[in-house]
Amino acid sequence: MSNTTENANNYIGKSPIRVDAYDKATGKGLFASDYFKLIPDLLRVKVLRSPVAHCKITKLDVSKAEAIPGVERIFTVDRSPFHMERLPEQVRFPIDGECIWAGQPIAIIAADTLEHAEDALEAIDLEYEELPHVLNVYEALDPNPKSVVDPNHGRSGTIDESNPWAKIGRLDVVDSKFAGEGVSPNIIGNYVLDKGNVEEAMKKADIVVEGEFCTGRRKHTHLELSSAIVTYNSDDSITCYGNGCGIHGVIKSAFVNIFELPENKIRTIQPYIGGSFGDRLAPYIEVLTAMMALFLKKSCGYQYTRAETFEGAPFAWPVYSRVKFGATKDGRVIAQDYDCVEEIGAIQNNVSYTGRLSSSGAVCVYDIDNIHMDTAAVATNCMPVGAFRGLGCPESEFGMEVMMNKLADDLGISPVEIRAKNFIKNGGHNGYGELVTSIGVEKCLRACADAIDLETPPEQDGSVWKRGKGCGVGGKQNTPLGRAEAIVRYYSDSSVEVLISCDENGMGAMTVMAQIAASVLELPIENVKVIKGDSIVTPFDNYSASSRTTYTTGNAVKIAAEEVKDKLQEAAAREVGVHKSKVIIHGSKAKILGSDIQEIDLATLFKNTSPYDQGNWGLMRFSPVEGHGVFCPAPIRKWGHDGLTKRMWNWFQYAASAMEVAVNEETGQVRILKIATSADTGNPINPKTVEGQIEGGSILAASYMLMEEPIFNEHGAIINKGLSDYRIADVLMTPKNDNFISLINPDPLPDGPFGAKGMAESITIPIAPSLSEAIYQAVGVRPMYFPMTSERILKLIQEKKAKEAENK
Amino acid sequence: MNSFENYITVSFEVNEKPVTVFTAPNRTLLDVLREDLGLVGVKHGCDDSNCGVCTVIVDGKATKSCCMLIGQAEGTKVTTIEGLEKDGVLHPLQKEFIEHFAIQCGYCTPGFILAAKALLDENPDPTEDEIREALHGNLCRCTGYKKIIEAIEAARDDMKAQA
Repeated sequence: MSNTTENANNYIGKSPIRVDAYDKATGKGLFASDYFKLIPDLLRVKVLRSPVAHCKITKLDVSKAEAIPGVERIFTVDRSPFHMERLPEQVRFPIDGECIWAGQPIAIIAADTLEHAEDALEAIDLEYEELPHVLNVYEALDPNPKSVVDPNHGRSGTIDESNPWAKIGRLDVVDSKFAGEGVSPNIIGNYVLDKGNVEEAMKKADIVVEGEFCTGRRKHTHLELSSAIVTYNSDDSITCYGNGCGIHGVIKSAFVNIFELPENKIRTIQPYIGGSFGDRLAPYIEVLTAMMALFLKKSCGYQYTRAETFEGAPFAWPVYSRVKFGATKDGRVIAQDYDCVEEIGAIQNNVSYTGRLSSSGAVCVYDIDNIHMDTAAVATNCMPVGAFRGLGCPESEFGMEVMMNKLADDLGISPVEIRAKNFIKNGGHNGYGELVTSIGVEKCLRACADAIDLETPPEQDGSVWKRGKGCGVGGKQNTPLGRAEAIVRYYSDSSVEVLISCDENGMGAMTVMAQIAASVLELPIENVKVIKGDSIVTPFDNYSASSRTTYTTGNAVKIAAEEVKDKLQEAAAREVGVHKSKVIIHGSKAKILGSDIQEIDLATLFKNTSPYDQGNWGLMRFSPVEGHGVFCPAPIRKWGHDGLTKRMWNWFQYAASAMEVAVNEETGQVRILKIATSADTGNPINPKTVEGQIEGGSILAASYMLMEEPIFNEHGAIINKGLSDYRIADVLMTPKNDNFISLINPDPLPDGPFGAKGMAESITIPIAPSLSEAIYQAVGVRPMYFPMTSERILKLIQEKKAKEAENK
Repeated sequence: MNSFENYITVSFEVNEKPVTVFTAPNRTLLDVLREDLGLVGVKHGCDDSNCGVCTVIVDGKATKSCCMLIGQAEGTKVTTIEGLEKDGVLHPLQKEFIEHFAIQCGYCTPGFILAAKALLDENPDPTEDEIREALHGNLCRCTGYKKIIEAIEAARDDMKAQA
């Protein structure tokens, strides 16, 4: 109806400033952790955690601790009226006195002050007998492992029927080397994909390359500490202020399911969040705090220390993979034989781990006729894992991309051209058999390669710093995660409210929603106020994950704004006396066709209330015209025995990077000299915030691929649980601004709002393989494990030198 | 345990206003700014001076307030993020952080702006390398730092033009 070329207020593809920027630049915006100051009479919560990875508790006496003045209550499994076995994974207490990871909660305290709670923590008498533990994929996969971890925590072999996500594919019978007789009892799920005939295709291949890879454990390390405040209200309801994600779909639903509260007795409020990156997709701190508040009928608050974020909150899961490609001599990959194992820690999480999540990255980029994937998930005595930007794809695709680089090197083909030969094309199908409707990966890769002049070898300066260049690409699925709703309200003065419940972890979602509403309504963005994150005010949205927000919530906002427009059209048509189709809404005005009245001001449709005009029909001032948008992606379709299905996920986002590094051959240090990273965002709604995601994602990934690594002591506990020893990238790791290039190469997504899709996860995927290849080009060693710390790279260099000396 | 017997009186200036607090000596400047003075724009992220979100300016120097005992603040002049906007006009750093999209989750932002202000007050014309050197005690997990540097360079240029 309305022609966008006429729309003076089209903000799509423009970069209006962020709607939350003023709040954040002035310190006026409140974060969850700021509410500790604002809530009166707040009890403070602390948790005693298992100091070792696996033990049997032999003594747990809290009597001395509970006698400390100010201590209100201490719960252990035996002392709690709550089902501690129903608490979320990361905060599940030990069953039968057996702790299965270092950091598992053993006792929880509420006291009048933090000091008293900490005193009580120290006064708890805990004795235990240590048991053997397994801490990594290799130990866990041993058919006779040192420790058998029961990830279903006392419910071995059973599936949590209350959680529909917990059983996807868990009971599938598969032909897997990781299933059946003689495999480790720590394997808890499998997924197998079979397409074509890999065995036959390998025989026809001119060249076969193969490698084994493993990726390390990484911590999200958002700068705001996990925090929750739960107030107990006079009507026996609770209000939660927290920095967890999903006020409806995660936190409120957890409270209802765990504590069996009526839905109307819970209010969840999400102030600004100081980062998440996936860490806060499962509820943990909120549940512990609510449990104490509900029992004591008093308001409670709990903030993790930085150390607790390493022992009581999820890590990204490590992934082992084996990649074997068979290719023709001109570089066409005809066979992919792929294993992967994801290590999930001590408890099955709220998603079902079978290897399917991580391996999704291995079939979404390249068009390969014959694929065999054999994947599994395995439990260890480590902190239960959780989603981290990329959901296993930076891990699973690392090996794929390194092998693609090796294939290019071995065949003497450019790493760009060999990929271009193999990419899935728009309209084609991925490994599952899904129709691909948006894939901009080739444009992304070519743009990055051009930006750093990838094909020209770097100049060496004769120093110990050797230079090399490398590239990689990545694809990441969007998981359909249910419904998002939005309410858009249009007032008589053409001011607008947008009510949403998606999470704003910092990615710019609020601004994008304001842009979408303003663009549909053809109003200045200044007219739009975004109201977010209060469960009794803002409508349902599951949670912001899998880069779904722009797509799912964005579509809901678009629908809601279109409904507003439709209602305004109707109102104007009735006022003038024409058919609704003869009215075009442009911002605060309605253009009328076929009438002597050519234009009316929408404000005039809103009546005042007066003695002669009671407002019994039509539009009224202070009563906005309201549109309610609901958007939900289509459901997936269960795959068959061969793992194939027409709909395993939703759409896919793509990215590429190319970089030049310098490697110190005497120390193994790596410096990124120049990096270009590109995202296929679909049509970007706000290019500047997209750039921010590209830059942030690139450095976050470079940080964890070069240096982030928890270190365990002999008891299986992490010892570097602080930012001094678990270092994340600072500004000095970032290349200088002229050498840090972000590029956007969209392939519009047909069902995205204005063709947009999410993009923030895939950007992390190409960084590791680009680094690995650039390091190889510089010093001749190819890292197959990350983090690629200086120590590891130096060891590889020394091994290579030793081997060369042997051969002389 | 704290008792009033060991409490100390500390007088200092915060955002150009005199302040006197009577408090336990084991508290940090961060505790007092956030909890007693309500200046919650000063953030808390790690307790061991590694993240930089608690950065304030003390006597012209960027200082991590989590690692300064309150007694050390006696007689000092402290600037927090709340003290930068004057009469409804943003400091050039605040303005440029907004305009350059140097803010994502925003939790590190006050610390970065104050670290940058301390730098620009001391050296009005820093190079990109000097800016990086001055900021490497402040961590940001969201932005990759590029837009933060661009914002500081733009603020540097604004301030030079105004001077």
